[in-house]
Amino acid sequence: MNMSNITRKMNKPQVAAFIFILPSLITIFLFWVIPLVASIAMSFMNVDLFFSRTDFVGIENYINMYHDSRFWNALYNTFRFMLMEMPLQISISLLLAVFISRNTPFSKFTRTVLYIPVICSLTAMGILWSLLLDPTLGYYAYLLKVVGFETVGFLKSTTWAMPAIAVMTVWKNFGLTMVILSAAMLSVPKSLYEAATLDGAGNVAQFFNVTLPLIVPALGFCVITNTIDSLKVFDQVYTMTQGGPLNSTETIVQYIYNRGFKIAPFNLGYASSIAVILFMIIIVISLVMYKYFIDKETV
Amino acid sequence: MRIINKMLMYILISAVIVSIIFPFWWMILSSFKPSTELFIFPPVIWPKQFTFENYISVWKSIPLLRYFVNTVVFAGGVTVISLLFDSMAGYAFARIDFKFREPLFIAILITMMIPFQVIMIPLFVEIYKFGLLDSYMGLIIPRATSAFGIYMMRSFFVSLPKDLEEAARVDGLNEYRIFWNIMLPLCKPAFVTLGIIILMNNWNDLLYPMMLTSSTEMRTLSAGLAMFVGDKVIEYGPMLAASALSILPLFILYLFAQKYFIEGVATSGLK
Repeated sequence: MNMSNITRKMNKPQVAAFIFILPSLITIFLFWVIPLVASIAMSFMNVDLFFSRTDFVGIENYINMYHDSRFWNALYNTFRFMLMEMPLQISISLLLAVFISRNTPFSKFTRTVLYIPVICSLTAMGILWSLLLDPTLGYYAYLLKVVGFETVGFLKSTTWAMPAIAVMTVWKNFGLTMVILSAAMLSVPKSLYEAATLDGAGNVAQFFNVTLPLIVPALGFCVITNTIDSLKVFDQVYTMTQGGPLNSTETIVQYIYNRGFKIAPFNLGYASSIAVILFMIIIVISLVMYKYFIDKETV
Repeated sequence: MRIINKMLMYILISAVIVSIIFPFWWMILSSFKPSTELFIFPPVIWPKQFTFENYISVWKSIPLLRYFVNTVVFAGGVTVISLLFDSMAGYAFARIDFKFREPLFIAILITMMIPFQVIMIPLFVEIYKFGLLDSYMGLIIPRATSAFGIYMMRSFFVSLPKDLEEAARVDGLNEYRIFWNIMLPLCKPAFVTLGIIILMNNWNDLLYPMMLTSSTEMRTLSAGLAMFVGDKVIEYGPMLAASALSILPLFILYLFAQKYFIEGVATSGLK
């Protein structure tokens, strides 16, 4: 085969398409598919930090996990965080989305401002909030003292640390949800509102009977992504409390990280088995929620 | 009644705006306070005396410039490479008919559902085995493409008129020329939107760069700052200054291109 033959072959659309998708296929296969399979495989093995020894141990990791109170604690904390964060973020976003969908200069300005925390890193914002809540130097700690809270360091209290992280997360993220919901609201046909007004429906009735049913797909998307994100919470916990005090804010991802890279003996197999459980939880919850919203949509 | 409602609403919205801005406002002002003023109780918002003391101190105690360079190389590198690969794949999936097109595309979409946190440990082992831990290559290569980016670029190419490449084929251009000379220049708006999303995600990422780097010289802004919080090596004022500096670049970009930041996500949620 000579050169011109090769060039002609290369020019076939089929071959060209293959060359176009090859880099992506390799990357996704190498860095997403293989690690996922490996994660499941490693959950049945004992693996140390640098893979120097690997032995198959069956479901031993899962049995250990079942008896590991720190795992249950992390699971409990993760759900606690999710149940505090997600409903709050969705309701605040819904409320403000109504306002910023008005398309006045002030509502546009509001949108621009409320989106600022979204572009900042959770790391920097976590640090900022932990400084604001610092019992001796923080301004929020001071304000809370003025309204009657004792100067417990909020992040040093087993009761208040998790709610504080959840509030910070809502503050940081709701702008994103709000923008998505507002885009959905803007696509609701104006005529429906006019008809509802003629029928005598007030603003509140219009919101529940016109807006809400019509933005169900976007709302469902937000609820599901939000839930998944809160189950994967890490950054803000890491910078605000590092899982403390007394592991009261240690979440699943935190625990995976700690087991794998922080606490000796580093057991990547055990860490992987926790990751597999997290994956299954995420899949089950998203499927259940997805089904719920699909049903809602067709009604 | 109407007017009272309206006023209540504006008061509420203003309160929300203040609660969003206040932490930033306080961060910036406090970062210019001398340490003596930071310790005053009750805390004052406006510094009596402006000083760069905190900035100088953080500059001396942590290699902030190095972190900055690393973050630019990592986030910028990922963005450029990913835009190229995503648009190549998106183009093929949208405009060329080939075997297994549908199943391959669906397979790629499914990988979007794999949470990074679930695969991070094997990924770490893999990068270690490749000898790429603690290097730019190790940080950039796994992110050289993204299922989300391919999906977005495919949607973009699907929306372009079909006769574009027909005309080019008649003119005798080969597939690569069509992509490079005709399609890529049309991608600019999609590149801005997707590029901002990729840049922002990687600039702000913590777990990924923290896991794949170990030496201080290779840390990104997020990973570096987080480590210093953990080790409690820097004090209150300098920490504020460092946080302020770390968000500054994206903040400036946001000031100029906020439309693209917001519109990109607004439309992605509708799909």
